[in-house]
Amino acid sequence: MGRPGAVIEVDRNTPPVLFHFGEGVRLEKLPLGARIVYSPDPLDPIAHPERAIKRALAKPLEDDPLKSLLRRGMKLTIAFDDLSLPLPPMAAPDVRQLVMEEVIDMAAEAGVEDIHLIAALGLHRRMTADEIRHIVGDRIFSTFWPDRLYQHDGEDPEANVYIGKTSAGEDVTLHRRAAESDLVIYVNLTLVPMDGGHKSMSTGLATYRGIREHHNVKTLMSSLSYMNPPDSALHHSCIRQGQLIEDTVRVFHIETTVNNHAFPSIANFMQKRETDWTAQDQAMFLGMKQFTDIAPPAFKRSVFHAMRAPYGLTGVHAGQVDAVHEKTLEAVRNQISVRVEGQTDIVTIGVPYLGPYNVNAPMNPVLVVCMGLGYLFNFYKNKPVLRKGGVAILTHPCRYEFDAVQHPSYIDFYDEVLADTTDPQEIETKYELRFAEDPWFRQLYRKSHAYHGAHPFYAWYWAAHAMDHAGDIIIVGGDRDVVHRLGFKCATTLEDAFEMAEQTVGRYPSVTHLRMPPILLADVE
Amino acid sequence: MTWYSGDGFSGLTGAVGDAVRDVRRVRRGWHWDSPRPRTWPEQGSVVPARASDLSWARQEPVRTIRFLIQRGLLLPFTEAMAHPKVEGREWVRDLERPVIFAANHSSHADTSLILHALGDRARDRTVVAAAADYWFKRPLLGNIVSLFLNTFPFSRTGGAQAQLHSSSQLLKSGWNLVLFPEGSRSPDGRIHEFKAGVGHLANETGTPVVPLHIRGAYQIMPKGQSLPLPGPARVRIGKPMSPQPGEGSRQFTARVEKAVRTLALEPAQPDIQGSWIERWRLMKPRELPYEESTEPVQASETTAPPVKAGRKVGPLSTARALPAPPEKPDGRARSAAAPPRASRPKHP
Repeated sequence: MGRPGAVIEVDRNTPPVLFHFGEGVRLEKLPLGARIVYSPDPLDPIAHPERAIKRALAKPLEDDPLKSLLRRGMKLTIAFDDLSLPLPPMAAPDVRQLVMEEVIDMAAEAGVEDIHLIAALGLHRRMTADEIRHIVGDRIFSTFWPDRLYQHDGEDPEANVYIGKTSAGEDVTLHRRAAESDLVIYVNLTLVPMDGGHKSMSTGLATYRGIREHHNVKTLMSSLSYMNPPDSALHHSCIRQGQLIEDTVRVFHIETTVNNHAFPSIANFMQKRETDWTAQDQAMFLGMKQFTDIAPPAFKRSVFHAMRAPYGLTGVHAGQVDAVHEKTLEAVRNQISVRVEGQTDIVTIGVPYLGPYNVNAPMNPVLVVCMGLGYLFNFYKNKPVLRKGGVAILTHPCRYEFDAVQHPSYIDFYDEVLADTTDPQEIETKYELRFAEDPWFRQLYRKSHAYHGAHPFYAWYWAAHAMDHAGDIIIVGGDRDVVHRLGFKCATTLEDAFEMAEQTVGRYPSVTHLRMPPILLADVE
Repeated sequence: MTWYSGDGFSGLTGAVGDAVRDVRRVRRGWHWDSPRPRTWPEQGSVVPARASDLSWARQEPVRTIRFLIQRGLLLPFTEAMAHPKVEGREWVRDLERPVIFAANHSSHADTSLILHALGDRARDRTVVAAAADYWFKRPLLGNIVSLFLNTFPFSRTGGAQAQLHSSSQLLKSGWNLVLFPEGSRSPDGRIHEFKAGVGHLANETGTPVVPLHIRGAYQIMPKGQSLPLPGPARVRIGKPMSPQPGEGSRQFTARVEKAVRTLALEPAQPDIQGSWIERWRLMKPRELPYEESTEPVQASETTAPPVKAGRKVGPLSTARALPAPPEKPDGRARSAAAPPRASRPKHP
């Protein structure tokens, strides 16, 4: 049994704390009295995942056993999450592979001939064949690719259908194959509370028309936070859409949870609290620091992106979506929840090399904002760790660096849209539709490996709440021009950043550092 | 003193960091990356004088040194950088006569990947044809590369008969030969047209050709890149092929090229009549379910002995059931997990 999460107050004997710095790391001394929030230790994984999966499928929650739902002559569709989950990608075998193999075994036994597997991408980029193979495993890939195993295309008018409107007037669309199936089995991996539930189908197998109903500034500004679904307008909207989908097609939901063992043994020091660092961890840190200081960015990136996380399965539940998701959220909260007393004047966050939208690509400046102020800032329950009007300090090199294959629309977003304004509301009104309907971005999304034209907008909206909440945002170590383009302030060192922050929050501010990843959910009292 | 309170080590590392920054500054200031001015003379002729065919590199004790270098340095580095997946190794496991390995060429990493794929026995008997006008323009570089990889200079610019003679001498002496019939690294990662030399050499010497396809090397180190980047690679080895009676060099070369291109394709679905269900069942890893693995298994009940309990064996390619460890004379079983110690293969 691992230790629960902790909030540690910095005193004279507290070692410096690790800050992620893109494809690098830093050690920083925090002022005396500052707080460091650590995530709980990884929970013990389930010893026999296959047994747990079999059990979950045989005794689902508020639903019939899967075996009884499968019959000869039926149309079966299995949908699964894409490579944006988990982060870093999981060391083989991925738990989705284990689940899908069990499901397919059952389908084979029942003689289900018509079976399709769809990667539920939403508006994310298409994966490469190797990336899909990593998720589903060799056996599934060799059996089904490419005719029966393929990726959702949210811009293919033939492959999607309009289902209707929710009680709140939101459009709902769905992949045609899923809509016309006798049974859809969704295989999900939930790493953070935002994932899973009705959101899986209503975004993963939807089109721009359906997704924009909740991926907009108004909804996201009312999601406080979207890491806590009961307080999230985003999730309320997804639930309404999901219920309409459930009325249209029979859905059997399978959700898995993993612990937060995010780093392999070579980067064990990132997983541990600094007070636990052994001589070996210190040596590994020094080695990695020197390596990341001198290695070219492309080389560093290759090394970092080659890391595979040794996540362990902590739970698997199957059955009706709401019942399953409730159990899943409980398991996720057990792993990442930390109680934090009161808010703070300054919050510091190290932004790591990887976010959901830059697997095998550099984290461009827009994604730095999405990751730091969108995801990491929003890992809270009740209220933000940062008080209203406080200062958020991020550390990231924030270079002008884009992947032209994966993020073509991000380049135009940065060069054209952010040059005009950084206000999410104005951006949404003036630019979103033009990017979303741009034929070139549409073509790249459908045929290449590019994110949808609207995706950089969503990345920006994701941070809208944090930008509105914080009085000032400072990026330490960032490229000055880039940081100014993003509308933030730039500091060379953390000490400088504190100095600058004092102008906003006054002398002797309270400071809290969120030591992520491994991820944590601050339950602020 | 605690590890984090002192400045000594961080001061040293800071100095190293400063030195690196200085080197970068000088590099930018003096344009190290730019090509030389045209007025600077080239060093040496394009094709080196026929000083040596580097026969020293194929004699003892150099072979032993190379064996150690490859096993201790080159192969672990290749493994770490590329995790190469090798398919078709059975074609070269027990070669009884020398062969020509014909592979596509997109990167300097190709040679290491091929050597990694061959296995000890074949590797120790293999020489690599390296472009004379590239690798042997500077003698020191040529010799070092020969020490590491057992290369010999192969002229791309002329002297076909002399080249044929030296290559056939190597084949007759019992050496396998690695050739890249495209003649140069592919600028875009795709397979380009094969030159007829490989067919000519096979025809003249009656040597079989083993087609190889390397995938992923271009991403590791494409032409023009000086440092390798980690990335997955796959080496697929094809069935050895010999020239048919009356088949010309060009026709045979075309056949070899086609074989390499075929290897480049993703494997076709197993040729099974019927639905996906048969294919799915056929690809089931050979293992016992965990429930049964704890029970003693009768040899007559299964062809595969039990594997580790409670552990899902991964993909088909890796799901090889281990044979039961033979017993030692004293009755203790030898560990099945420990592979037999690698022994140095015999010389040809």
